[in-house]
Amino acid sequence: MTPPIVAQRVTPGNAEAVAELLATCDRTGRAVIVEGGRTLDGMGGAPTRADVALCTCALDRILTYEPRDLTVAVEAGMTLAALAGQLQRERQFVPLDAPLRKRATVGGTLAAGWLGPRRHRYGRPRDLIIGSRVALADGTLARAGGMVVKNVSGYDMSKLYVGSFGTLAVIVEAHFKTLPLPERRRAILARLPSGSAERAVAHLQALAVPPSAAWRVTGFHREVPGDDGDDGRLVVFLESTETLMERATRDLRSVLGRAGVPAATIIDDGAYDSFERVCDALIAPLGERSVTYRELGSPENALPRCTALMALAERRQLIPESITDIMNGDRYLRVSDRDALAFNTKIDAFDDELHTEAPDAIVVAGQTAMRADLAVWGEPPRTLARMHALKDRFDPRHTLNPGRFIGGI
Amino acid sequence: MLRERLVDALGADAVKTSPEDLAVYAFDAYSESAPPDAVVLPTSSRQVCATVAIARACGVPVVGRGAGTGLCGGAVPTAGGIVVSFARMNRLLQLDLPNRRARVQPGLINLALSEAVAGAGLFYAPDPASQRASTLGGNIATNAGGPHCLGYGVTANHVLELEVVDDRGEVFSCSIDDIGYDLTGVLVGSEGTLGLVTSAWVRLLRMPESVRVWLAGFADIESASAAVSQTIAAGIVPSAMEIMDAVITQAVEAAFHAGYPTDVGAILLIENAGFEEDMQAGEAAISRICRDAGALFWRSAKSTAERAALWAGRKGAAAATGRIAPNYYTQDVCVPRSKLPQAIAVVREAAADHGVTVGNVFHAGDGNLHPLLMYDKRDRKQVAGVIGAGNVILDAAIALGGTISGEHGIGHEKREAMTRVYTTEDLATMAKVREVFDPARSLNPEKIFPRGVGCPEVR
Repeated sequence: MTPPIVAQRVTPGNAEAVAELLATCDRTGRAVIVEGGRTLDGMGGAPTRADVALCTCALDRILTYEPRDLTVAVEAGMTLAALAGQLQRERQFVPLDAPLRKRATVGGTLAAGWLGPRRHRYGRPRDLIIGSRVALADGTLARAGGMVVKNVSGYDMSKLYVGSFGTLAVIVEAHFKTLPLPERRRAILARLPSGSAERAVAHLQALAVPPSAAWRVTGFHREVPGDDGDDGRLVVFLESTETLMERATRDLRSVLGRAGVPAATIIDDGAYDSFERVCDALIAPLGERSVTYRELGSPENALPRCTALMALAERRQLIPESITDIMNGDRYLRVSDRDALAFNTKIDAFDDELHTEAPDAIVVAGQTAMRADLAVWGEPPRTLARMHALKDRFDPRHTLNPGRFIGGI
Repeated sequence: MLRERLVDALGADAVKTSPEDLAVYAFDAYSESAPPDAVVLPTSSRQVCATVAIARACGVPVVGRGAGTGLCGGAVPTAGGIVVSFARMNRLLQLDLPNRRARVQPGLINLALSEAVAGAGLFYAPDPASQRASTLGGNIATNAGGPHCLGYGVTANHVLELEVVDDRGEVFSCSIDDIGYDLTGVLVGSEGTLGLVTSAWVRLLRMPESVRVWLAGFADIESASAAVSQTIAAGIVPSAMEIMDAVITQAVEAAFHAGYPTDVGAILLIENAGFEEDMQAGEAAISRICRDAGALFWRSAKSTAERAALWAGRKGAAAATGRIAPNYYTQDVCVPRSKLPQAIAVVREAAADHGVTVGNVFHAGDGNLHPLLMYDKRDRKQVAGVIGAGNVILDAAIALGGTISGEHGIGHEKREAMTRVYTTEDLATMAKVREVFDPARSLNPEKIFPRGVGCPEVR
């Protein structure tokens, strides 16, 4: 199936222009595809109709930033890197942690509801957002929440837009809690010898000073530096105060030693780069011959689940590579073949098998043409009928991102 | 007829219809309304489903109720119908210690959960002052806060999964891990207007290895507020920062002997929790900031007992005002943190203008104000003064970029004020959600939405 060709690309300069464009398209029956930095184009269904592409990239300003209040209001098209740069001047940050943050926008990251590795510590995008302004398909501009950190005045509409994949409304503005930047950051890399991974993971999860992020990686050699041992390799990212870093590092080394993991490499300058590389790898494709899946789950069984999914790929003669988020329990599995044609012949059957084993697994990176035949959103949740009802109420003509989301929404 | 059907479905023991039984359900901790036609005390989701189905068949509304500690009329009926009390669905259903979460029934008391998991070194973070009485179901309905929100976030940040009975009497579940729209996110804080929560998975946190509680005294609320702003500006976010003025501390001391100084204009109660190394550095930094902001008094709690006493005073503050006046009204507004001094000035002025005694006890770190307006409800002039002052404070909070409820909710009391913070478009967008979940407005009608928003008012 070939996805429809976008006839027109529009870049409105303010919220009112977004609303006006939507109203016109809605009235005239034209479908609107919403775009930020297009970093997650490899996710979701291909649009069933696409007349106009609305890029939020010109909405790229900070609207209000009160460092003393620990709050910021930003337009949706600002990139995560640009936002981080502004906040860093005041030694603050918003831990959104999406891949490719130099291109990824605030609005796109929210719409995708991207779940980053530090959420066990700082919360999910839904927990960081305190207010929003959206444009509905009919051109209505509506606000929710505000610039206060506690607010129980009506429904928390902002949470409804987060993770809605642009199918309910176009986010034009978002308000966040900001956090003080940690004083110190440190990355630690280590090879995992045979039989060490299970124990290393269990110890890491039980650390008194938990890492901000920790991954077990197998493969991904282009994207993530370091050599695999028999059990892969470990990337740990620590964030703390200056005084606490010493203990965090000592404890980490000690538990790794007990798990049989030999000397680790410590990276202080460029620690954040090491962190970012893994974030980027989560959606990195291998040309046209790979698909990356994500399965969420509990930290407790993350590693065995990952092993089981990899075995499934191997049985189909696909090359599995994996990134297991140790603190949250997410498993990312990239399957590929050296030959694109061979890959195409195998992937559909693998997709079926994978979803038998892991019904909730979703595709986070895959070519558009290929995705048409995959269960990109996994098994629909039990609440799908209610979601359709919400979609029909917010966007009755299905103007926004038709077909991109779960259940054909 | 309603009674017979309910008794058939739930048993006589679970259905109350005598006037003396019903009378108490016309109240919450502040407001008063008309009693319901019936109160049911279900013990299972199935009984909740049956209740909603019967209400639907009889055309009467359903109002969920936890412990009735709310302050804005959220859990009291305004037009009769059935009140569903969750008092008998109060069990801790399941503990998943490796993944640090618990499945609870809505009637479980907030504090009981933390007590039940304390042995495993865990706790449930949201801690409204009512936590000895208020239920998790009620906390979920109002997205309840508490002093420790500063460090740990509000109820919505701690609810992972919900089982809900909908307007048709059918059960559905939703989780924050579901792909699709975040129904959990809109259900938390929806005050029983989108469904009745019958169980929830909530997040548990590991107890911090080190906890410090400090008490600082200041000449006035303004300088205490400045200390709060400067602490946060310095990049330190303690787990709680609470301010009480002299009206409150004197009442607390008379009632509980919490150990508060009574010769200062305001006190700042600070709790910091985390790692030992950070606590030492934090104490030095915070005490310096307080001194620079003009602290007249500084004390560090030396023991667990002393910490508990300092907190007991804070949590009992509202009750202690009974020594000053027979009744009090707690306003609940939230402003950007840096606007606290201006907001406090307005509170003081509004109280003076209306001849009302005011005590301030509030979550300073979050900018969440709770002026207690004290009065005698037998005196109509005082009642009018309280209403007038409350309104001025609401308007001031909005003008300062804040909101009309930080953690108590809108309920019946503040529904008309919603039009002051939100435009017609904003409210109509919110109403779309209501129309999907409860088109007939049979679940907790006449709450949150002002008259005339969305579809025409059904009742």
